[in-house]
Amino acid sequence: MTTAPTTSRELTFRVRRFDPDTGSAPHWDSYTVNVAEGMTVLEALHQIKAEKEPTLAWRSSCRMGVCGSCGMFINDLPRLACQTQVLHLGTHVITVAPLPNYPNVKDLVPNLEPLIEKHAAIKPFIIHPNSQEVDEPTGEFLQIAEEREAFSQFTYCIKCGLCLAACPTVATDPLFLGPQALAQAYRYTADNRDCGVEERLESIDMFHGPYQCHMAGACSVACPKGVDPAFGIQLLKRTLVLDSIGFGKKKSSVAKVSPLADVVKAIEEFAPPPRTVSQ
Amino acid sequence: MNNKPTGYNNRLGIKGWAYAGRYSMERYLYLGHRLSGLGLIAYMVLHIVETANRIRGEQAWAGLMALFASPPFKVIEYLLFIMAVFHAMNGIRLILIELGFFLGKPKEPVYPYSTSVLRHRPLTYIIMVLAGLLIIFGGSSMFFK
Amino acid sequence: MRETRLWSLHLLAIPIIFVLLGMHLAIMHYAPVFYGMSVDKAREFGTMIERGKSVVQFVLYILLLIAGLYHGLYGLRGILRELPLTPTLIKVVDIGILTFGLLIFALGTYVTWWTFSFKAGG
Repeated sequence: MTTAPTTSRELTFRVRRFDPDTGSAPHWDSYTVNVAEGMTVLEALHQIKAEKEPTLAWRSSCRMGVCGSCGMFINDLPRLACQTQVLHLGTHVITVAPLPNYPNVKDLVPNLEPLIEKHAAIKPFIIHPNSQEVDEPTGEFLQIAEEREAFSQFTYCIKCGLCLAACPTVATDPLFLGPQALAQAYRYTADNRDCGVEERLESIDMFHGPYQCHMAGACSVACPKGVDPAFGIQLLKRTLVLDSIGFGKKKSSVAKVSPLADVVKAIEEFAPPPRTVSQ
Repeated sequence: MNNKPTGYNNRLGIKGWAYAGRYSMERYLYLGHRLSGLGLIAYMVLHIVETANRIRGEQAWAGLMALFASPPFKVIEYLLFIMAVFHAMNGIRLILIELGFFLGKPKEPVYPYSTSVLRHRPLTYIIMVLAGLLIIFGGSSMFFK
Repeated sequence: MRETRLWSLHLLAIPIIFVLLGMHLAIMHYAPVFYGMSVDKAREFGTMIERGKSVVQFVLYILLLIAGLYHGLYGLRGILRELPLTPTLIKVVDIGILTFGLLIFALGTYVTWWTFSFKAGG
């Protein structure tokens, strides 16, 4: 990361434009923006739209890195526009393009349907042996801190889609599930409340499943929330291989429902997780 | 699953295997592994077919061996050796990490985030140094008679 | 679990290839270092036949053939299938690679057996 200069300066934004109504191929337009310290690429886009190009289209919402809407290909890396400080990029020309590997709806707007469909295909919900308990709970499922930590980092996924834009397999294979769906498949199979490996096998144990991940690692480099999907996929492969030779998770080991008294006792017995913020 | 969502096709295609952005070194090790693998399977098939020439008799075999002892073939052999060493050493790294070893343990992500890619970097460096040493010392075969 | 099993075999082939190919390279390219004979001598017809008559050599060569072909062709199948193919082309790739692999295996096994059962002058 370069040290940000403190004075404001005029920088050029090269933005990829595409208008589906004209039927012509995408092209690049350039705009100069007076960039001050602290300005994000998203703010620069707002300025371009307000002052120079009112037809510029993109998707954004929270502007603070939690909704995952503003994924774009900025200076050769997929990033969240709201989390990318312009001056920290360290270049005079900032290129902004729509996320690759997704159909481009207009300008910087990707069609994220492939991401959502693949996510849905891996059954992203707890599959418990007692499905009635899941639908009509009578108590809590016990889960201690260590059990939570086994999959917790994969729960931070905000479905921004940057990982699929980075993945070399997604670049050629439209049916490949992709880092997001596969990491979420691991998130659920590693959850001690879930016993759904068998149910998910049909959508995971196929050619376009985890074995077409070759650990290029680009997805983990691109992920803005530290989910590290590449890690999840390798752990998923290990889970599947162990399952294929009979060392898989047994349904009997899945978390059972506990009455409230047992939950209170469990809380009292186990220490809280370690601090992640220094005092 | 709907395979044809609407919009301009922005898929990178095979170009995306070669370059898709400023990612880490592992992305290029993946490319090198793929290319060396293709080269090696092509060579393996050729090798099985070419060594089958022994059934044409001793003279045919001697002629083939004389051809392969010539300098251009010695260089090709060495290039193949480099491909094989790279593919094998990188493959050792891949077999370890694809079964989940050397990647660390899952834990709460705290900014600045560490990734499994960076956590197994020391293993990657060791493997690459070993590969480099094998390639350098392996080059001695070009001078054997 | 089919794809998992196919991939597990792909991985299982790795240590087999590592050891056996290492030995093969030692003989064919580094004979002066490991076997005290010149490369030319190691590759001579007579030396090759002599080596090929050992039962251990016969078994290990077939094993290397199986492991190498399976590992390589599974990888090739993966690379080709990652391209956007029509259902027909998918079948062509899968069946084509399997057939090709079996043919090359048959050729390699025949040549290894030919060496094993070679009789001088006949």
